[in-house]
Amino acid sequence: MKILEIENLSKSFESKFEVVSDCTFNIQAGNICAIVGESGSGKTTLFRLIAGLERPDKGTIRINGTLMSSDKFIRDIKDRNVGLVFQDFSLFPHLTVKENIEFGLNKNKDEKVEKLLEIIKMENFPNRYPNELSGGQQQRVSLARSLAMDPELLLLDEPFSSLDTQLKSKIRQELRDIIKKIGISSVFITHDIIDALEIADEIIFMDNGKIIRQCLIEDVFKEIKDEKIQNNMVELKKNAELILNALKKN
Amino acid sequence: MFLKIKHFKRDFNKWTLLIVALSLFLSIPIFSILISLFSGNGEMWEHITSYFLFDYIKNSAILIFGTGLLTFTIGTSSAWIVAKYTFKYKKVIEWLLFMPLAIPSYIVAYTYVGLIGNGGTFIEILRDFGLSINRIEMMNIYGLIWVLSFSLYPYVYAGTRTIFQSYPSQLKHTASLLGVSNKKYFFSVALPLASPGIIGGMFLVFMEVLNDYGAAKYYGVNTFTTGIFRTWTALEDLQSSIYLSAILVVLVFILILIVKWLRGRRSYNLKQPNAIHKNEIKRTKLSGLKRILYLGILLVPILFGFILPLIQLVIWGIQTFDSMFNYDLIILGLESLSLGLSTALLVVFLACLLIYLSKWNYFKQFNVFSKIATLGYVIPGAIIGVGIIRTSKSLTDLFSFQFNLEIGHLVYNSILVLIYAYLFRFIAVAYNSIEGNTLKLGKNLSESSYLLGYGKIKTFFKIDFPLLKNALLSSFVLVLIDVMKELPLTLILKPYNLSTLAVRAYEYAEDERVAEAALPALFLIFLIGTMITLLNYKLKENK
Repeated sequence: MKILEIENLSKSFESKFEVVSDCTFNIQAGNICAIVGESGSGKTTLFRLIAGLERPDKGTIRINGTLMSSDKFIRDIKDRNVGLVFQDFSLFPHLTVKENIEFGLNKNKDEKVEKLLEIIKMENFPNRYPNELSGGQQQRVSLARSLAMDPELLLLDEPFSSLDTQLKSKIRQELRDIIKKIGISSVFITHDIIDALEIADEIIFMDNGKIIRQCLIEDVFKEIKDEKIQNNMVELKKNAELILNALKKN
Repeated sequence: MFLKIKHFKRDFNKWTLLIVALSLFLSIPIFSILISLFSGNGEMWEHITSYFLFDYIKNSAILIFGTGLLTFTIGTSSAWIVAKYTFKYKKVIEWLLFMPLAIPSYIVAYTYVGLIGNGGTFIEILRDFGLSINRIEMMNIYGLIWVLSFSLYPYVYAGTRTIFQSYPSQLKHTASLLGVSNKKYFFSVALPLASPGIIGGMFLVFMEVLNDYGAAKYYGVNTFTTGIFRTWTALEDLQSSIYLSAILVVLVFILILIVKWLRGRRSYNLKQPNAIHKNEIKRTKLSGLKRILYLGILLVPILFGFILPLIQLVIWGIQTFDSMFNYDLIILGLESLSLGLSTALLVVFLACLLIYLSKWNYFKQFNVFSKIATLGYVIPGAIIGVGIIRTSKSLTDLFSFQFNLEIGHLVYNSILVLIYAYLFRFIAVAYNSIEGNTLKLGKNLSESSYLLGYGKIKTFFKIDFPLLKNALLSSFVLVLIDVMKELPLTLILKPYNLSTLAVRAYEYAEDERVAEAALPALFLIFLIGTMITLLNYKLKENK
């Protein structure tokens, strides 16, 4: 079953240059998918289009079979049932951890917050304010806040870019564990292919606003024709041990 | 563009309609003046161009150049000393450096004549010491430059000080390692980096200079604003005053272009030191001769912009206390305050509405209307007044001829028209301040709220409003102060049965009863001073 279906999606801004250009792809339900690309490749805009934060010039977006946007129709952001964890986590600074997590909830607040705090291992900090948390803790709270809404699709914008190298490896694993435990379909964008190899089930490569390749993680090494990906592979080979560990998981 | 039109049905929403309607409503004075330009010149236009226009242009240019030079010197030097050094009573001096803003410049103008004019307080003191000076001539364009500069330098000081304070010490260390002297560092690094603050502050000074009516009228200097008034009231030629207004609008836009050009494409952003390195912004303790010299530099603007005018007002206030302090004065103060409070509340509300409607509207091209609606601050009050009178006249004519309805009593002599004029004049003060803060907040917080199921209005009240509280409060107080000090617009549009402290002080001074203007002026300064102090207290508490 497909959780996300994108067809001929394009978006340009004032400059007329297409930041997202005629993208078509599908993502299977239950998978973690990584969209990998360099800065300026259009992956953030693609994300914002899926979440409904930008309006597409053309193309359609369907989530779990429901039409989200087309040339004639656009579903409001709040009705999309999509969770998004921003790169800067975007926690509401004037609210505590608990208040942030329960922000979108209308019923069973305490029960749900308690459960989520346990999952993200922050049971002891419900009354802390975001500025009293570390980067990793802020990310987990942001994740819990999105998960509280039981979204059909979870989007994560560069989830590891603001973390230091030592913390990164630990958080990658934690994040994968949480997502898999809840069993939610997720898409995350990254410029670092190691992130993708460590936690994703499938990868989409993006360049100049276009989708240049989509494959399962185990197929990454098979028959690569694109020069840019080949260059990335050279980098990857330098980290052979890491790659092997990543592949073992699949 | 094609794509946008293609998606018109999909992307058009109520916010688009509202932003266009609100912006057009707020821009009526500008459109009114522009339209009037095509109705031919007035009867007195030839007379004005032959005898006055050159004077208006020359005097306005001299005023801008003179006050520009003086406010730049005072503002940047005091900002540098406050930002870079520590000394005893620094907090009091910092507060005093802002205080000239509490005294309207036309009131400062009256006090100088009382201080150093014929038989003035200062002249009498000199006589007591055996020095015989009859008077120091103030009532000319140079006196006006002096008065306006010492009243308005805080605009340059405020913007520049903030930038100077943000320089990390590494910048100075790098310059020292490269063998750059202190003097060269100040002129070739510190000052150019502060140029956005300096230019922004000086632009506000220029706008205030062009808007000034009371001081220029009292000193007998012909400027555009006094000319617009004279043409409309004494010569009774509204059309010619609109022509004069249009020329002034063109001059203002030339100034805006110069400011844009001066700012250029260079980046002045310094990477801010993070929390751990905050202590790297170091300040030197002043001592010895340098201390005396630098404190002297700080005391000059405080003395000439605040203390001397205040002393003169207090002397006059004591002299006229018995005859002037009465129930009427209290009522007048309360009327001024309530007019200011209600206008400020409405201005902040509409500024927020403009900002958020622009955000929520998907057709960004329409946001240009909201920018037009915020041009009021760069257009002198007299022009806005004339624009509104012009619109009112057209409206009453239209209703009278087309529908046989007399609506004159609704549009003339109405407090609603005065408040509308304040709205147009001061909405930019609130708009710029709040918009700057919303930009600092970024989009992600409100977008997170939308994704969590909240609508736009609910998100505003739950997320933006609590986080913008300080900015909203500051804007509210700034607008309140501006409204309470405002003179030309109030003089043109106020209903007969309404007065303000500013207008009352002006009326006494106009009647050559300058001493009697002191108590309304002191009351006004007291109210403004209280507002500034309360704002500071509240901002500190909210931190």
